[in-house]
Amino acid sequence: MSEAQVVGSDAKSDCQVTVTTAPSLEIQIKASNQQLLEPGIRAVVEKTASALGVSKAKVAITDRGALDYVISGRVEAALRLTFPELTSATSQSIPREASERHRIRRSRLYAPGNNPRLLIGLELHGADCVVVDLEDSVPLSEKRATRILVKYILTAVKFPEVWVRINALDTYGRDDLAEILRGRPHGICLPKAESSADVISLSKEIEELESSYGISSGTTYIMPIIETARGVLHSEEIASADQRVVIIAFGAEDFTRDMGARRTEKSLLFARSMIVTAAKAVGIQVSDTVYSNLDDEKGLIAEAKQARNLGFDGKGVINPRQIEPIHAVFSPTEQETEEARQIVAAAEEAEEHGLGAIAIEGKMIDKPVLARAQQTLELAALVNKGGW
Amino acid sequence: MKNVLGREIPERLGERKLRVFEGAFATTPAGRKADRPQKVIKPGENKVLSSIEQAIEKTGLSDGMTISFHHSFRQGDRLVNQVMDACARMGMRDLRIFPTALFPVHEPLIKHIENGVITRIEGSMNGPVGAFISQGGKLRAPAVLRSHGGRWRAVEAGDVRIDVAFIGASQADPYGNANGIHGKTPCGPISFSAVDAMYAERTVVVTNDLAPYPVYPFEIQQGWTDYVVVVDEIGDPDSIASGTLKITRSPTRLRIARLAADAVVASGYLKDGFNFQGGAGGISLAATKFVGEEMAKDGVVAGFAMGGGTKLIVDMLHQGTIRTILDGQAFDLAAVASLREDANHVLMDPGQYANYDSRGCSTYMLDAAFLGATEVDFDFNVNVNTHSDGLLLHGIGGHQDVASGSKMTVITIPTLRGRLPVIVDRVTTVTTPGEVVDVIVTERGLAVNPKRKDLAERFQRAGLPVRTLEEIKQEADGFTQPPRKPMFGDEVIALVEWRDGTIIDTVRRVVGWE
Repeated sequence: MSEAQVVGSDAKSDCQVTVTTAPSLEIQIKASNQQLLEPGIRAVVEKTASALGVSKAKVAITDRGALDYVISGRVEAALRLTFPELTSATSQSIPREASERHRIRRSRLYAPGNNPRLLIGLELHGADCVVVDLEDSVPLSEKRATRILVKYILTAVKFPEVWVRINALDTYGRDDLAEILRGRPHGICLPKAESSADVISLSKEIEELESSYGISSGTTYIMPIIETARGVLHSEEIASADQRVVIIAFGAEDFTRDMGARRTEKSLLFARSMIVTAAKAVGIQVSDTVYSNLDDEKGLIAEAKQARNLGFDGKGVINPRQIEPIHAVFSPTEQETEEARQIVAAAEEAEEHGLGAIAIEGKMIDKPVLARAQQTLELAALVNKGGW
Repeated sequence: MKNVLGREIPERLGERKLRVFEGAFATTPAGRKADRPQKVIKPGENKVLSSIEQAIEKTGLSDGMTISFHHSFRQGDRLVNQVMDACARMGMRDLRIFPTALFPVHEPLIKHIENGVITRIEGSMNGPVGAFISQGGKLRAPAVLRSHGGRWRAVEAGDVRIDVAFIGASQADPYGNANGIHGKTPCGPISFSAVDAMYAERTVVVTNDLAPYPVYPFEIQQGWTDYVVVVDEIGDPDSIASGTLKITRSPTRLRIARLAADAVVASGYLKDGFNFQGGAGGISLAATKFVGEEMAKDGVVAGFAMGGGTKLIVDMLHQGTIRTILDGQAFDLAAVASLREDANHVLMDPGQYANYDSRGCSTYMLDAAFLGATEVDFDFNVNVNTHSDGLLLHGIGGHQDVASGSKMTVITIPTLRGRLPVIVDRVTTVTTPGEVVDVIVTERGLAVNPKRKDLAERFQRAGLPVRTLEEIKQEADGFTQPPRKPMFGDEVIALVEWRDGTIIDTVRRVVGWE
């Protein structure tokens, strides 16, 4: 008989599941509104156990208001830790449309994958993309349970765009991928990307899983996160390594540590410039690092403006309340919108008259400028919706 | 018999013939107000007594009588338990207590209920007493829940005859003038009890700080007061007011607050002279803060704010964003201090702000109000009294009074509390009818009462996510298996009065689970 496996926590919105071997399936439930909730929780536990084919186990669950997907995630994790021969209960990936390559990504909102309280409602805050984390915010002892929980969140929640930050491929990354791709995220964030080889091996891994899970080939994007000295120097090869790479991101915390530097605007300038230039040279998007001092909105806005001025398209976010100020910085000003409108109008007129070249007041407008103008108008339209 | 909302209401309850709820403003009172015995205190007479026991003797308090209290000392209250313990020691039985509200600190009352000292309660029961009553703790008659204004009306109308009113005051003079904003342990306004003081057979002011005549402001007046008792302890200053109330940090709740504030901005009501009710709940507080920021940005100055004094609205008053605070109860010490110091922070009793049978209520001057709910339903009915498990847990507060008066009543709720849906097909208990609820704001969008097409159009034009309650519920309920529902027996354990004294709903004993 194996040792009892405990998964989850007694935090709000979570549940704690303890599994031991038993002659038959035995379910024990404790909940704050026991009378109201017991049957519903039981149904979720039964369904999860049956999908895994488990019939000989005792599952004890103490609920603190966990939603169904959290209960399923915790129960499956506890069962699979107890019975290592079990394989994922989700046999098919869920139907989720692939995202668009050039979708607007002003904000990427991080949330730790092992904290249900912070994961609930993550899709509602208006972030352009959400990143569920399996890496730095998850302690080693919780890696296995967390990726299973994250798979269920991906299955249950409709996100505008959802990414998962996996662990490095040479640690837990391969297992992460095998689990969470069943939840069909729009993309994978690769931390500490240092070379094109890193990106290519991730892409190959994804390719295989896409084919075995029935996901159209090439539709899962990659966001390499550049956060080491070596990564910065190889920005261009990372950005251009694979078709799946639609955006690269900068991680300043690890970068300054790797450099032995202090985090100032100047100490980050070279890395930022390198990364933004590499992205623009390749024609993909680029997102700036997170700003960790939650209570300093002025600092956040100042740093976002620096990044915007350098050419970044967006910035990392660690709390929903950073979204609004960041969207404001990365949205076009009225003047920028007006200029973009003129450029697009001129282009339309040129096309109507069958002219090859576009000009405004005698100045020639080339293709990248037109593309930029079109994106500016798209952004402006988003802003006009008021962020709701 | 059924009331206009289809809720089954008994015809009588003991000697009391019940009237059914017909609509928010359907009834017109035709009688005259209640009275109290005439009495004269002549120059030189002494009102000061040395103990609660002495007051009980002097007032003639005896078996079967009714005693009233206010709740301004909240969780720090030391008076209710002292008085009831004294009654028990003196062998009294079958008392009816008529508090404005009870708190967890009043758990010792349970033993007095078990021993027959207390057999009836009319008043809000927060915490253990409420749970005890709804789980089978027997009272001789059902509890009666009333709003702030409804309680005032019930006393004035003679629905509730008080034999002895015990009024805790943080400062009083020997002649019986008293208030809650001065003294050693100030608690904020105590005018909830003004109606008790005016109509009780005997009125007793209890204080731990007897000061030289005159003590003012005169929340309680000498002309109403029979006796003044001095005790060592009236309230625990650490638990009376909650330091500074915390604005919610939950991203979901902040989102609800932001959307509620944006709804106020889009409503067209937010202009100079805008009057609003804030409140002390985490979401209401955040929504009030956001509205305040919008006002400061556009230079809009509110006429008055109400809903309980908090540091947040006191700061807005001092920054010039609000001209006046009308204050019936203080939630933190900053509000109590401001009541002492700022002439534009004004004491107000529930008769002034909420009494249905009156020649006008301050709530009728409100443009917008943020209120909470434990449940709402598709008819926009709101429940604040019971939980989904059917247990009686919360008082009405000013919910009915404010919702009836405000031009735009905004209910802010999360769609789920833990695993429990907050939007339900039919609320367990109706506290406030949908006819006086305009907007329900959730983290998944806001729903507008169909009779407020004007608001729906404004919100849509402003780009706010207007949806139906059915859509919002369907989306949220996808995350949990539906909970079981309680089954109710015939036994009525509480009546929920509408503010005009009609019965809007009953709370029945839970007998099992569907």
